[in-house]
Amino acid sequence: MLLRCRIPLANFDLDIDASFDARVTSIFGPSGSGKTTLLDAVAGLRQVADGEIDVGGRTLFSSVRKINLPPQHRGIGYLPQEGALFPHLSVRKNILFGAERGVNGGNSKDIVMDHVLEILEIAHLVSRSCTQLSGGEAQRVALARAILSRPQLLLLDEPLAALDIGLKERILPYLARVRDEFGIPMIYVTHNLTEVLTLADWVLVIRNGRLVAQGAPRETLLSGQAVMEITEEQLENVFTVMFIDSDKGAGRARVRLAAGPELFIPYLPPPVHRTFQIRVGADDILIGAKQPENISAGNILPGTIRVINVVDGQALVTVQAGEDFFVRLTVGAVTRLGLKEGTPVFLVIKTRSFRVL
Amino acid sequence: MIFSPETWQITLFSLAVALASTLVILPFGIAFAWLFARKEWPLKSVVETIVLLPLVMPPVSTGLILLKIFGRRGPLGQWLYDRSIEIVFNWKGVLVAMAVMSFPLLVRSARTSIAEVNPRLEHIAATLGASPVRIFFVITVPLAYKGIVAGALLAFSRALGEFGATILLAGNIPGRTQTLSLAIFNYVQTGKDAEAYTLLGITIALAFLFVWGSEWLPRTGKKT
Repeated sequence: MLLRCRIPLANFDLDIDASFDARVTSIFGPSGSGKTTLLDAVAGLRQVADGEIDVGGRTLFSSVRKINLPPQHRGIGYLPQEGALFPHLSVRKNILFGAERGVNGGNSKDIVMDHVLEILEIAHLVSRSCTQLSGGEAQRVALARAILSRPQLLLLDEPLAALDIGLKERILPYLARVRDEFGIPMIYVTHNLTEVLTLADWVLVIRNGRLVAQGAPRETLLSGQAVMEITEEQLENVFTVMFIDSDKGAGRARVRLAAGPELFIPYLPPPVHRTFQIRVGADDILIGAKQPENISAGNILPGTIRVINVVDGQALVTVQAGEDFFVRLTVGAVTRLGLKEGTPVFLVIKTRSFRVL
Repeated sequence: MIFSPETWQITLFSLAVALASTLVILPFGIAFAWLFARKEWPLKSVVETIVLLPLVMPPVSTGLILLKIFGRRGPLGQWLYDRSIEIVFNWKGVLVAMAVMSFPLLVRSARTSIAEVNPRLEHIAATLGASPVRIFFVITVPLAYKGIVAGALLAFSRALGEFGATILLAGNIPGRTQTLSLAIFNYVQTGKDAEAYTLLGITIALAFLFVWGSEWLPRTGKKT
């Protein structure tokens, strides 16, 4: 899709020019950088001064050709931060609100209500009133509503931001399932790094209304300083791994990174999908200058330091160990160990520091 | 309690015209409320002021203006008279007076409640393919319904109590344009105290019913 638009805002102009084609494109940036404004412009809810917006080969807006489709004809699903369920309608009526679309720019793919309810695990909520839903349930109902309108593109505006951390962890996999099941391209706005790394295949980094970087998420985000300045939450590594085996007695499972190295993670029974994602916090990894011996940690990986970025007395160290691992240290630790780019090191990670998504 | 045929006639006539007036202004009231709450257009504040004017102007002055407009030689009256519709000094005059006087109450109440509907919900409905008309009827009006109902009740009560504009536009003709308020005035003037008190009792009973209803209705109507 093509996203070229200029929108004057109170403090700055939102001025974006990007062209991308990914299953999930994440718009990543700090609060107040114009992310929601951009989604509103794509959905047709906000006046664009000039530019062009194309989705799936269709022009939704073009200042040159004087095209400006109204929101109801754009075929775009929108999941706002607060879900925005219609409080006076039942869950069922909410879910079916946009289901009549289909011809008017809707996605031609066959999306069936029962399937959506099953994927999001909300079939049992259908007969309830909207006021009886928890935050996570309301968010999934709103997501089902957007999917069932069979959109060409799904816009998600920090859908997890309003939820507490425990709930976030439970909803994130649903978003991944939606991505994999329905084949609807998504634009996902967030300022949470884990969400970008988990869901997106492309990322646009926005600050003060400008596009400062774009590309594949890991390369774009983690090698630059932008991440530490932008992310307001915990910095995490996200890896896609293949299940090998697990040992309940030992309390651990073995998985393999795409690049080869094997890791021990907390026990889980053999999963249905052999490939899944795991995470580990950048603060939960130790770096050893020598290979440590006789320690309890289950994972010791040899690697080489690729980059060290320093921001505010903290160092974000990128270590190549099959894949890039991001480790956050104090600058004091970096100096004490004499770490430099190219230094060979060992990564030490407790089995229990890994979490399965 | 047995009322005289005259009392019945006055009461039913007042209720019927007040109800008709409320039903007539309801769609316009909601439309204006929406235009005031949701849209920006040139001269909006001027139109808004004109619509709300009868609320603060002496009703008799409003009545005089209406008489000039709807009188046989008035700009609108002439046009209507050519089509054999006469407003002045019959029940239609009562209706027009009631409608104009109660309209601002409906608009004000409905405007506030429409403005309180989260516009984000309307936006999301649009992205789900809903046309502006469907959004209006399925999202905006149902969510603003409390204020609209309260406004309609207020308007109805105001219509029922209307005196000044009615007496100028429709006169005080027993059996033709005489409403409860006009009749009470008439009875007191002519020393028919017993009749006046009967009507007074009726107005108190009706007022009680409406106040009680307007408190009770929004609470029960919450269910979907």
